[in-house]
Amino acid sequence: MKKILMSMLLCMSAHTLAADTVKIAITGPFTGGSAPMGVSMRDGAKLAIAEINAAGGIGVGGRRMKIEVIERDDEAKNDRGALIAQELASMDGLSGVIGTANTGVVLAGDRYLQEKGITKIITPAAGSASMTQWVKAGVPDLSIFRFSADDGLQAQMVVAEAIKRGLTKVAVFHDTTNYGVSGRDDLLNQIKGQGNKLQVVATEKFNIGDKDMTAQLLKAKNGGAQVILIWAIGPEMAAVANDMEKLGMHLPLIGGWTLCMSNFIDNAGKNGNGAVMPQTFIEDPITPKARKFIDAYHKAYNVQRIPSPMSAAEGYDAVLLFAAAVKQAQSADTRKIKAALEDLKEPVKGVIADWKHPYSKWNPANEDTHEAFRTQNVVMGMVKDGQVVFANEADKQRMIKQK
Amino acid sequence: MDVILQMGVSGALMGLVYALVAYGFQLTFATSKSINFGQGELVMVSAFISLTLLNLGVPYWLMAPLGLLAGALLGLAVERLAVRLALEQKSEGWILMTIILGLLFFSAAENIWGRDDHPFPTPISSAPLHILGIDVTPVELSVAIGVFAVMGLIELFKRKTLWGRAFDAVSADRDAAELMGISAKRTIMLSYALSGLVAAMAGILVSPITTVGPTMASALVLKAFSVAVVAGLNSGFGIVIIGMVLGALESLASYYIGSGWREAPGLILLILALAIRPNGIFGAATIRKV
Repeated sequence: MKKILMSMLLCMSAHTLAADTVKIAITGPFTGGSAPMGVSMRDGAKLAIAEINAAGGIGVGGRRMKIEVIERDDEAKNDRGALIAQELASMDGLSGVIGTANTGVVLAGDRYLQEKGITKIITPAAGSASMTQWVKAGVPDLSIFRFSADDGLQAQMVVAEAIKRGLTKVAVFHDTTNYGVSGRDDLLNQIKGQGNKLQVVATEKFNIGDKDMTAQLLKAKNGGAQVILIWAIGPEMAAVANDMEKLGMHLPLIGGWTLCMSNFIDNAGKNGNGAVMPQTFIEDPITPKARKFIDAYHKAYNVQRIPSPMSAAEGYDAVLLFAAAVKQAQSADTRKIKAALEDLKEPVKGVIADWKHPYSKWNPANEDTHEAFRTQNVVMGMVKDGQVVFANEADKQRMIKQK
Repeated sequence: MDVILQMGVSGALMGLVYALVAYGFQLTFATSKSINFGQGELVMVSAFISLTLLNLGVPYWLMAPLGLLAGALLGLAVERLAVRLALEQKSEGWILMTIILGLLFFSAAENIWGRDDHPFPTPISSAPLHILGIDVTPVELSVAIGVFAVMGLIELFKRKTLWGRAFDAVSADRDAAELMGISAKRTIMLSYALSGLVAAMAGILVSPITTVGPTMASALVLKAFSVAVVAGLNSGFGIVIIGMVLGALESLASYYIGSGWREAPGLILLILALAIRPNGIFGAATIRKV
């Protein structure tokens, strides 16, 4: 009897070990003000996963491994994010984590994953601190990668855009979250770094949930600001655009990529027109690959417009990179996948770009080793009648050529 | 000068919404010495119901009375479920019960309508008007008109009709009023229905500005508490004045001291009022007979 039981137990454990799945956790804000980013990222990622699984899975050592998804909603709350990261860090057989849209959540949770050496691709959170924290800590080895245009890069483009337009006096607006504050610092650093050509006449902040921006805007107006550089998320940026209309101020709004969020575009309505932000993907079928992706997304989720197109595209491409790493590592072991990601041999044809060796071995002095995006992957987008379009034709042609 | 005026007027208009929510506290406090701590959730749920009606294709001007009716019914539900039994037993159980009912409304709203913020369409234009050198939008003006209209009508009702006079009678002495043939129970029910109606009015008025979401009223209701406490819970007039002053102070503080200091004046005002005039600036001293 004992023997039978033992052999049954053995059978069962042998079975779980041989499970032909790659377990990936997708985390992000699926509800609340940041939901357009989280939901689009998740749905984009699941689109890629569905395609991989439909083709039979990832070929590992003669077997085909399908991808199994674990979803967790962090509600954009730092404490929820920390709890989820702890849960995932202690989960058996997890191959990796993809996601997180909020820099604060990254800062609260990623250390638990790093401690256990679990591979994570951060997308679409953009705050610089997400990666620079590891440079500051000087960790010799890092299992965290980023797949989005970081704020440093975006701030550089935002400041360059203001200078290109011949503007000299700027107001810097930001919310009081980790994302907003680190974005403000990036902007101020970039203004200094690009030769102090812009004079900052007002630096104003607001809280999540604030709807009345009159005071901040009047400060900017009285300082003679010609443009507002803004780092915040959708609903509050919409309040800024709407109050500008009320006060008869018609200043251009240039800011972080969050200006493309559907809750900015919807709540601001026509007042949002002309807002300009860096984008990694525009919902414009400029290439066959982009058309296929956009159509598939619309069809799978029954929408006319992707809530946050670049989050969706980033989620999609991040899964492709992860799958390529699994294939190269020939294993679902998270440490082997990490090593493969640091040295991807074959280019990955993504919807944003063809990714050739996006990451390299972690260098504690340079976070770019674990950053995938470079300036050539990013364009300027502009809000126009409820859609985000290419802000200038040259960018569009450049992206068509690149793909 | 223009800036002071602009900030003051913008803030005061917002302050009127605080006053309207605070007025909902005052209505029930007058009759039953109890208030609904879930008043903010009534504002939010009524706003969601109104938005749902709009999305179903009900025209705005029909939606408004229906939304108000929904608010009044919710107010009655609060009275029946959370307040009546506690009052009959002369216990303070209504404090906890109204909080719990509020939490229940909150999670119900999250499950029914989701946690996202939704824009609230309105036929009233939000194109700015320039009046005496300042900018206001018709939506903001509609808030002021709506607040004054609903408060004026209710005050008129309380002063000129028999049912309304019963409010004062029950407020002055519940037992004596009962002996005079006034049903205290009915009067309290009516006050809760009116309080719910006022909450719905606040929801419909403020939603085009704040958008509709489960947390839309959480900040609002805290400010309304401050207004009610600072003004005193007996004076409708006082609540309007303090509401406008508080709103204006908030705006001016965020302009002159810094946008991080927005909440400070309200809190300072609250502490001062509690320390110097615990019954409120416009409140009458109450004598508690034992």
